[in-house]
Amino acid sequence: MWQTTSDGITYLLSQSGESLLRLFWFVAIFEIPRYTLGFVSVVALSFRPKEERRHLSGADRVTVLIAGHNEEDSIERCVRSLLEQSRLPDEIIVVSDGSTDRMPEKLRRLQERGLIKEGHCTQVRSGKSAAVNLALRRATGDAVINVDCDCTFDRHALKKIIEPFADPRVGAVAGNIIVGNADRSLVTRFQAIEYLISISQGKQAADLTDQMTCVSGAFGAFRRAALDRVGGLDAGGGEDLDVTLRLRSAGWRTLFAADAISYTNTPETLAALVRQRFRWERDAVRLRYRKHRSLLNPFSSRFTVSELMHEIEFGVFNVGAAIIFPIYIVWLFTTYGDLALMILCGAQAGMLVLDSATFVMAALVSPEVKALPLAPYVVGYSLFNGFVMRFVRLAAYLQEWVVEASYRDTYVPSKVHRVRR
Amino acid sequence: MIAGAASNLEPASHPIAGRRVLVAEDSPTTHEILKLLLTQRGHHVDIATNGEEALEALRHNHYDVALLDFHLPKLDGLRVATIAKSELQERDLPRLIAITADLPGLLAHTGDCENFDLVIRKPLDIYRIGRLLEEQAELRDQQQIESLEPGPQTTPLSARNSLPSAARQPFAIEGLGYDFLLWPEDIDTRRLSARAMQASLGDPRFDAILITQPVSVEALTSLWERKALYVLPIVDLTGTLGRMADFDGTELSKAATERLGRLIRDFQDRRARLHRELLFSDKLGEQLIGRMFVANRPLTAALDPRYSHLASYDVPLCRRLVTREAEALCEHALVKREFFERFHICPSCGSYRLHVREECSQCRSSNLSEEQYLHHFRCAFQGPEADFRRGDELICPKCHHELTHFGFDYDRPGTMIMCGSCGHAASEPSVGFICLDCGVHTDSDVAATRDVFSYQLTDQGVSFAEKGGAVLGYAREVLRFADLPLELVVALNAAAKRYNEDKTPFALVNILYGKESEVVAEFGARRFAQARDLFIENLRNALPKPNTVVKGQAHDFALLEAIGPEQAQVDFDHLKERASRTLSVDLGAMFQAFGPEDFS
Repeated sequence: MWQTTSDGITYLLSQSGESLLRLFWFVAIFEIPRYTLGFVSVVALSFRPKEERRHLSGADRVTVLIAGHNEEDSIERCVRSLLEQSRLPDEIIVVSDGSTDRMPEKLRRLQERGLIKEGHCTQVRSGKSAAVNLALRRATGDAVINVDCDCTFDRHALKKIIEPFADPRVGAVAGNIIVGNADRSLVTRFQAIEYLISISQGKQAADLTDQMTCVSGAFGAFRRAALDRVGGLDAGGGEDLDVTLRLRSAGWRTLFAADAISYTNTPETLAALVRQRFRWERDAVRLRYRKHRSLLNPFSSRFTVSELMHEIEFGVFNVGAAIIFPIYIVWLFTTYGDLALMILCGAQAGMLVLDSATFVMAALVSPEVKALPLAPYVVGYSLFNGFVMRFVRLAAYLQEWVVEASYRDTYVPSKVHRVRR
Repeated sequence: MIAGAASNLEPASHPIAGRRVLVAEDSPTTHEILKLLLTQRGHHVDIATNGEEALEALRHNHYDVALLDFHLPKLDGLRVATIAKSELQERDLPRLIAITADLPGLLAHTGDCENFDLVIRKPLDIYRIGRLLEEQAELRDQQQIESLEPGPQTTPLSARNSLPSAARQPFAIEGLGYDFLLWPEDIDTRRLSARAMQASLGDPRFDAILITQPVSVEALTSLWERKALYVLPIVDLTGTLGRMADFDGTELSKAATERLGRLIRDFQDRRARLHRELLFSDKLGEQLIGRMFVANRPLTAALDPRYSHLASYDVPLCRRLVTREAEALCEHALVKREFFERFHICPSCGSYRLHVREECSQCRSSNLSEEQYLHHFRCAFQGPEADFRRGDELICPKCHHELTHFGFDYDRPGTMIMCGSCGHAASEPSVGFICLDCGVHTDSDVAATRDVFSYQLTDQGVSFAEKGGAVLGYAREVLRFADLPLELVVALNAAAKRYNEDKTPFALVNILYGKESEVVAEFGARRFAQARDLFIENLRNALPKPNTVVKGQAHDFALLEAIGPEQAQVDFDHLKERASRTLSVDLGAMFQAFGPEDFS
């Protein structure tokens, strides 16, 4: 074993630049560009002039919509955190989507105490999209803010998330989502690092290049006129990505408000995380390559360079990387035999360096996230993300491609799956 | 002990104008005690020891009240009363009160006994006799005033069933042969007729109170302020009292008259079993127990929209007083509650009469309509049905597809309550109240609630009704001096005196009837009273003479002279056997013996 290890190190150290590229082509194609983009964006971000949106009210009237299923435990905390806002919502409308717990009773009491304006309860589950649409039908605000029951908010979150609406071209604004339960388990710590890199920093970078394509359902604001015009949310999962893509196609700008901060609770066990990611990835594939495939068709009226950019990014770095990675490993072992393991370790060592650098830079441009306690977990995150999550993603893509599993997702009622587009 | 008791016989708490009283009584101890007692209360007392003396005194002096022993030497009390009544002017005639231990004997003289205004049974209750006399004297004053005034017609006691019928339809009920007191002729909120006053003193001849004119429950409260009137059944001829009356007399079928007869008998029977303490109590709570006991039914609450408190009880007393008193009795475990209903209360005026309505949580309008909303599966649009409605088709306003098949492409997941006044929507309406009495609006969740209960007597309440305060613990001693009849007090005094002088022992035997309640339940109170009288008489004959066997309230007593309690006990079984010999029922008599030491 020791012999293999020392041989491997010797082998790696003796490589020239060109032969290194031959060994690590996967990293060169799929990883280096991704990190490079990240680094560039961070540099760009640090030079970005602070936009003067302060004291600019983006909306006269703000409606908060909450749709939940069996949320008796969290709904009151969520409403109370909304009522702590520096910019109070003008109305809160909650829909209990076929809850079987005591959520309807909770809503009645919240309404009686005047904490929410309207609480509606369906007797059968309609799915999140339909529930939000019902609330949207009752909303009177210029801006509607869609939040999840398990989210809580910084005091200025509402004020910050509606500021961009001062620009009449803006149709939707994504809020910054930070993991609130990072210290619960290893899995939540890894997710905290992931959210820091992909949302807090990643969406800032996307925002710079007008590539912000997902106004998360956990905390996102919409111009009500824009949302009404695209017909609200559509049936099926991934409705946040879907509605953002549709808003963009309709010509609206979609932005990210890094200083509109909410905290969410992420899955605490690996199994729950894997289930969640299977759902997300399946929906992403279904939406991008089925429902919105016209974005990739140069002859479609919806085709634009801007949309193509994020389609390429997703196609290469998410789908491509997930599919090619196992091929790369097989190739490595068939070509180099015992040395393959060391080569892989070498690659991972390089990735670790890159991940650490990314983490540090993301932390620098996202001062709102407490990154220091997460630092010791970056090593684990790098391995976890590089191997475990990559295979989870691959499995989800394959499942969706082969058996269209997203159409059986229990997140959406089966009656809806049966007939939706 | 005896001396101590005598000194607080009757606290002169009521300074009363002195009355002239004639006491015709052959027993020197009795008239001595009566003289002492009545003089203490400020009355002038003349004593006659036989009938002739009594008649002479009546002819020559003017008395307010005359107490006549039925069995008087030379001329019995009944004769004295009859002669006095025929000879004297009504103005000079005192109230004639018979004293007798032989009530059946007196009542056997059916015609003449009505010459007495009141009959008091021996043994005399020395604690009440003073008050009784004064009440009779007042009654006499009032009768004389009434006879001078052309006011409401007075009804002589002897004129049974001759009801005043001026300006009133004769009621079938009057022909039934009961002795009714009439409201408002005999009783109203301010005054009592002579007959009513008689009834208020516990005269057992009166059967019921007949309500002949509409009356409010508040006015009827005056019944409760008039002593024993409250235990008479109320027969309502007007139909206005509803369940507060004991009997609805508006329609008299044969079945109803039978029912009335049973009711009156039951009331009489149970009145006889009610302890005097409660019969004459002026405490509303005790009266309530007495009423429940005599009517032999719990205080049952029922909905009654005529009152702002929406509930009434089946007694002629307003709900507020019933609740207040019954709750206090609950504290003492004399009655127990049974939940009846929970009412919401108007915070402004306290009324329970609230109009309940479903209303808008925002503007409190009751102009609500329920709207179902539809969920179109394929595009996730969810909204009110009106959004979809195009003629007879349902068209999705978002994707413009027609909804074709319920459950396949759409469903109705819920309803929305829309306010027609302000447009607010909610999943459920709020519930609010509007007070019918003051019009003030209240939200249902802030309106205070009040629970209303029915009440029934506990076992302790029943024994309180039958045995008086002695069961309540504040007088737990086996022998309460105040319970002893006057005759016995006198005899005991004498025996104690002899004991102090030459140590002649005596034994006081307390006679209890262990099977009283069983006998009453099986054969009725009257049968028990008869058997008890017979038992006493037999015992009197069985004991060596002279003896003193005295009838008391709850217990009876025998005073045995020249014998100590231990010796007396030897003979108890034999005595019991002899006294019970001719009885058809087993009274379960128990003897307890007390000696001189027990009275030190």
